[in-house]
Amino acid sequence: MLKTAFQKGLFFALCLSLPLASAQTQAAQTNGQSSLAAVASDFVRQIIARAGPFSAASISFQNISVLPPDLQETVQNAIFTGFRNAGIRIANSDPAPAHVDITFSEDWQGYLWIATVQQNGRKKVVMQKVPRPEHAVAARAPMLTIRKDTVWQQDSPILDFFEDSHTLALLEPDQVSIYSRDSGQWRLRYELGITHTHPWPRDLRGRLQINGLQVTVFLPGTRCNGSMSPPALDCHGSDDPWPVDEGNVVAFYSPRRNFFTGLLSGPSAGASVVPFFSAAAWQTGDTHQWLFSGTDGRTRLYQYDLSAPAAIFNGWGSNMAAVHSSCGSGWQALVSAPNDSVKADQVQAVEVLGREALPVSATIDLAGTVQALWTAGKNSEVVNGVLQSPATGKYEAFTLSVNCSR
Amino acid sequence: MKLLRFPSIAAVSLLLALAATAGASSRPRYGGTVRILLQERFNSLDPLADDDHPAARDRVAALLFDTLTEMDAQGRVHPRLASSWRAEQGDRVWYFNLRLANFQDGTVVTAPDVVASLTRKSQGWTVTALDQQTVRIEVPAAIPYMPELLALRRFSIVKRNSDNTLVGSGPYRLAEWQPGQRVLLSANDDYWGGRPYPDSIEFQMGASLRDQLLERQLGPYSAADLTVDQLRSLEQSNQSLQLSRPSDLLVLLFLHPDLPAAGSRSARKPVDPRVREALSDAINRDAINNVILQKRGTPATGILPQWLTGYEFLLPGGMNLARAKELRAEAAGLVIIHPIALAYDYSDPMAKLVAERIAVDAREAGIVMQPYGEPHVGNSSARAGMDADAVLVRLPLESLQPAVALAAALDDMGLADPASAPLNATRLEDVFELEGKALQDFRVIPIAHVPQAMWLNSTVHNWLESPNGAWSLDQLWTEGGR
Repeated sequence: MLKTAFQKGLFFALCLSLPLASAQTQAAQTNGQSSLAAVASDFVRQIIARAGPFSAASISFQNISVLPPDLQETVQNAIFTGFRNAGIRIANSDPAPAHVDITFSEDWQGYLWIATVQQNGRKKVVMQKVPRPEHAVAARAPMLTIRKDTVWQQDSPILDFFEDSHTLALLEPDQVSIYSRDSGQWRLRYELGITHTHPWPRDLRGRLQINGLQVTVFLPGTRCNGSMSPPALDCHGSDDPWPVDEGNVVAFYSPRRNFFTGLLSGPSAGASVVPFFSAAAWQTGDTHQWLFSGTDGRTRLYQYDLSAPAAIFNGWGSNMAAVHSSCGSGWQALVSAPNDSVKADQVQAVEVLGREALPVSATIDLAGTVQALWTAGKNSEVVNGVLQSPATGKYEAFTLSVNCSR
Repeated sequence: MKLLRFPSIAAVSLLLALAATAGASSRPRYGGTVRILLQERFNSLDPLADDDHPAARDRVAALLFDTLTEMDAQGRVHPRLASSWRAEQGDRVWYFNLRLANFQDGTVVTAPDVVASLTRKSQGWTVTALDQQTVRIEVPAAIPYMPELLALRRFSIVKRNSDNTLVGSGPYRLAEWQPGQRVLLSANDDYWGGRPYPDSIEFQMGASLRDQLLERQLGPYSAADLTVDQLRSLEQSNQSLQLSRPSDLLVLLFLHPDLPAAGSRSARKPVDPRVREALSDAINRDAINNVILQKRGTPATGILPQWLTGYEFLLPGGMNLARAKELRAEAAGLVIIHPIALAYDYSDPMAKLVAERIAVDAREAGIVMQPYGEPHVGNSSARAGMDADAVLVRLPLESLQPAVALAAALDDMGLADPASAPLNATRLEDVFELEGKALQDFRVIPIAHVPQAMWLNSTVHNWLESPNGAWSLDQLWTEGGR
């Protein structure tokens, strides 16, 4: 049943996405051409300024880059136009006062256009770096089951965040930044500093809880309590357990590492499981279920109680969070893929049926490495995530939700 | 009820679906020892000292000693020991603010420590401590890429004790050190950037991978550096290999300048510039790349590779045997042409093959070359006293910033000229011009750009390399830890 719904959804999404993708590609190509033409005009101005003046020039072109022929033609035409507009006659034969040899080269980061100007026995080289236009990404067939919304982007790390209609709070390694909505934009109101005695461990993780005006921060070996009004935050050494989700799992976190020790608190106080990176827990009817992503690379499924795993899954990523939805069994686990932090990441929704785990969505591509996935929202209906883009180095806070309406 | 029926088909399908996608979400795990085989031997860990294999030494030193800044794989500069910086007077005066960090002996890294380190390697700079956390650097001419420059290993911050021991502030401490043999590093629990994931990293030097492969002994190792001729057999056996862009420069360097330096007592005279040019024209770089380097590198006409600058193709080069013969004949009419003694690194079989191939090409143009193996070819101080006309050396590409990379390469070759320093270049055209100038008298004859290659065990994760082959092991972790 789920598989059928999955396939129908995929087909429908494909039909919807193809014309859209085509239109996006065309628009991107047009933008790329016009931006390169503008750069070409600027390049001509630089050539004339640094190697001129000359009244006429013969011009030759060479392309040793991946600049495609259609874009090359656009650029060449823009260069000819630039010279003509500057009052320089384009000569077809060599007796011209100047010869401009233009090479479309490239380095590892983008295009490099080089003009070698020979005039009166002198040679002058002019170079211009040109960013490669963004490739039009063909829209990947979204299942429309996992929806991703970007909340915020910044250069510095984000560990966790809270968002409602009025407030955006970002947990960063050394502060909590509070933003309020102003004319549709988030404006920084204040920053609450975090103090800590030991260096933070690598792969720093943290939890941010906002309850009304009350702010609670959980960091390795540190807990901070404070308020948004009046703005205050008091941090102290603490091994208090962290909320892993919206109340189902509370667990002790290693003060000098990047994982939960396995000792649980809250509703499962006294129970222990293997050390884990992330957990997802939910209740359907009378059945409690837990998934723990162990530091040994295995994900363990517990049902009813935490005495022994009902199933063990290999090959899952370390990041996982439960999300409540209106489809399927009503609960899914959003699971990251299992590779190293060198490429962009992917997330997939999984449902547990009996002792089996079934993928119930297409994977969605994220433009970076997942740093955090935490269940959030009043009814656990969203997952708050943070990723870091390998291309830009920027951190992005985003939400994921599961939508079964299409 | 089906009990313990796992892995179920569904679970397996999920596993396959997840595994088939190149994701990035295995959180690092702590513990374990990462064992690395290095082909080259080094006898000092001091990043400011000369060594026969400084590039291999610097890879280890990077784990012991911090720099003020660092460059990432995208070429962006980031804070390291310096938390921030600013420039004044048109990039002639720089201020670096230090973060709160400790040396591995527990003492705080202070501005005077940084001054003491930088002063050793920065001729002509005025480096002063404004207070305990602020360093001021004044240079005679503007250096727009100062933060990128200070990311070079030669600007590591090293505390020197009175008993000549060195202390760093890096992520690992020195646990055991047998010069030329083995280094054992242990995780620095108090590192300002957080304790590294592995408990320790062990480097074994001078290990022959061929022997290891034959004896099937690679299992306990996490990584091994390779020469390009070792790649094919490992590729055929489906091993995990990592190859950088062709970044190292294999270069023929003539040791004696046309105008001997004051006080020079070298018995050898400089090789005539026409003969050097003839030799450059005679070398078949394509053949060296295709056969000896097995098409893994690129023939070089410049000091910096085309992929980094985009302009290497503009630099003259390439084989022209007819012109080589003409130049040789022209020189023979004016001077006596002696055989050219060419030294290569005797521990590098690939260097031997390249040197012998150059000698064969030279003979075609009527130039006699005598290649021989030397242990200290890579040591810039030792080269000064070497009984050779030229050396074949392999220089790493030390920066992804072209001006900094050119300055470092010229310094490594002993050709740094303060009057025309690439570091003062503001535009790429200026770097190109300076590179052309460095090549114009043919004391430097680029042969090939060669990639760096690593074999990696599947138990090792987050082994990151920059395009120039520089290691970035901040996120490294290994399976089998805690």
